Amino acid sequence: MLSKLLKIGIVCPYSWDTPGGVGNHIRDLAEYLIAQGHDVSVLAPASEDATLPSYVVSAGKPISIPYNGAVARILFGPVAYARVRSWIAEGDFDLLHLHEPAIPSISLLACWAAEGPMVGTFHAAAKHQKIIFAIGPILEPAIEKLSARIAVSEAARLTLTDHLDTDAVIIPNGIYASRYMHGTPQSKWQGNTIGFMGRFDEPRKGLSVLIDALPVISRFAPDVKVFVAGPGDPDEVIKDIDPQLRSRFEFLGKVSESDKADFMSSVAIYVAPNTGGESFGIIVAEALAGGACVVASDIPAFDDLLGHGQYGALFESENSTELAKVIIDLFRNEGKRNELARSGKTHAQLFDWSVVAEQIYSVYEMSVVGGSKVRVSQDSRSWSRFLSKEEKP
Amino acid sequence: MRYWVLAVFLIIFIIWYLTFLARRLDRLHQRVDNTWANLDILLQKRAAVALEIAHSDIADPASSMLLTGAAYQARDAAIQNRSNAESGLSGALGLLLEDAQHLTTSADSQLLTELSALTDKIRVAIALHTDAVNRSQMLRSKFVVKSFRLAGSAPLPVTYEFEADVL
Repeated sequence: MLSKLLKIGIVCPYSWDTPGGVGNHIRDLAEYLIAQGHDVSVLAPASEDATLPSYVVSAGKPISIPYNGAVARILFGPVAYARVRSWIAEGDFDLLHLHEPAIPSISLLACWAAEGPMVGTFHAAAKHQKIIFAIGPILEPAIEKLSARIAVSEAARLTLTDHLDTDAVIIPNGIYASRYMHGTPQSKWQGNTIGFMGRFDEPRKGLSVLIDALPVISRFAPDVKVFVAGPGDPDEVIKDIDPQLRSRFEFLGKVSESDKADFMSSVAIYVAPNTGGESFGIIVAEALAGGACVVASDIPAFDDLLGHGQYGALFESENSTELAKVIIDLFRNEGKRNELARSGKTHAQLFDWSVVAEQIYSVYEMSVVGGSKVRVSQDSRSWSRFLSKEEKP
Repeated sequence: MRYWVLAVFLIIFIIWYLTFLARRLDRLHQRVDNTWANLDILLQKRAAVALEIAHSDIADPASSMLLTGAAYQARDAAIQNRSNAESGLSGALGLLLEDAQHLTTSADSQLLTELSALTDKIRVAIALHTDAVNRSQMLRSKFVVKSFRLAGSAPLPVTYEFEADVL
């Protein structure tokens, strides 16, 4: 299995105390690598009062800027740059793993400041990132320093090739498939039920598409129930629902990991109606691992993840009529539902950390082959000497 | 007077820019070397596994001969013949694997899993190498880089034909 033990520095661009896809991915990866015996340090922005795991080093307090249809809490600036440099200098790393190095964040700063084996993972997939990527010519020399690039999906790879003119290896996001494999079906969630999970008050998660589809669905399946799990304020959403259908919805709030497994194995259909901004769809992978029959919008990430409909049903994104049709069809056809759920569950094993982390590790191995360690780059050292006299050795 | 200052700044900037480009180029060349070293190691390993397969029960005598030949050729090939030799080995392995799906003994299937894991790694190594080569070719085709001979005497990195269709 993992042969050589490495000292790995991982940089997380987003605030550690705000949960999100990239942050979760880094946490799971770091914990997996530590469990394998590697020495891992994660540099991430964090609020002052946040409690951090022992392997996380705070780079300072993040600021909030709107990015990619959501508010991103990231960090940059001269103070952060100095922290990044000293983290690199003190860390004596064999390898740096930078996440999302193409946005203005400490990942980009680290890419700038360091020299040596570096791996970059690109998570985002979005068409309208032109503004961020318009600074391509400035980014290019920095991104070029990465010895290997990883994209989490075909969609993320295309974003990268379009904007930065460079190729990447595709390694999907990881899940702990075994955590979701043995959920016990709960009778309260069974029957003609539809599950939805995520921050439902964010428009791009597409709950409104499902709400619009419900009048048609309830005509064919009068006993249909929709369970919405995830953080958010239900009242905001409820007031937009037709009063006659309000009783069909039940908001569960945030659910625990073990409830999640039960939830996925209980509901008849799991719906992911996201309208975009998704580059991998970790929750869909988890739903598959939990043995749910998945219905998802045909945005590139989901289309890819579900094998163009092989491991779950797809509908045209934002088309609630088609969503209703697909759901009704599946409600009526239990055989097809089970078949999709079964093949999806097998497919989801490919995203298990034991597979994904091995792939990431083999990229690490290829990056460290030169034998040199990560150090602060020459340019950045002369710059700091030029800018601040007191840093002279 | 003012022109002098401006000229000095311009010259400093030009010098800085040239060293910056040269350093970028140097880094890319290093990347090409590293990625090639990776690929080379993996290909050597593949040849070794191919030999083992040739000596195991998976291969019938005829394909064993073919495979042994191809593996030795790939291992000993000089750089000019490397591309042909690796393609040959890919072909020989491909032929054998096509009808080796129904294997039963665990020792044999272990060899095959090893081979498929190696092939996955080779695929990644090729992608990394091609990318490094493309980037350096792109930078080296820049007018400034060419006219100031920033690449020095370093040979222009190339990709090999076999990289397009390894297994």
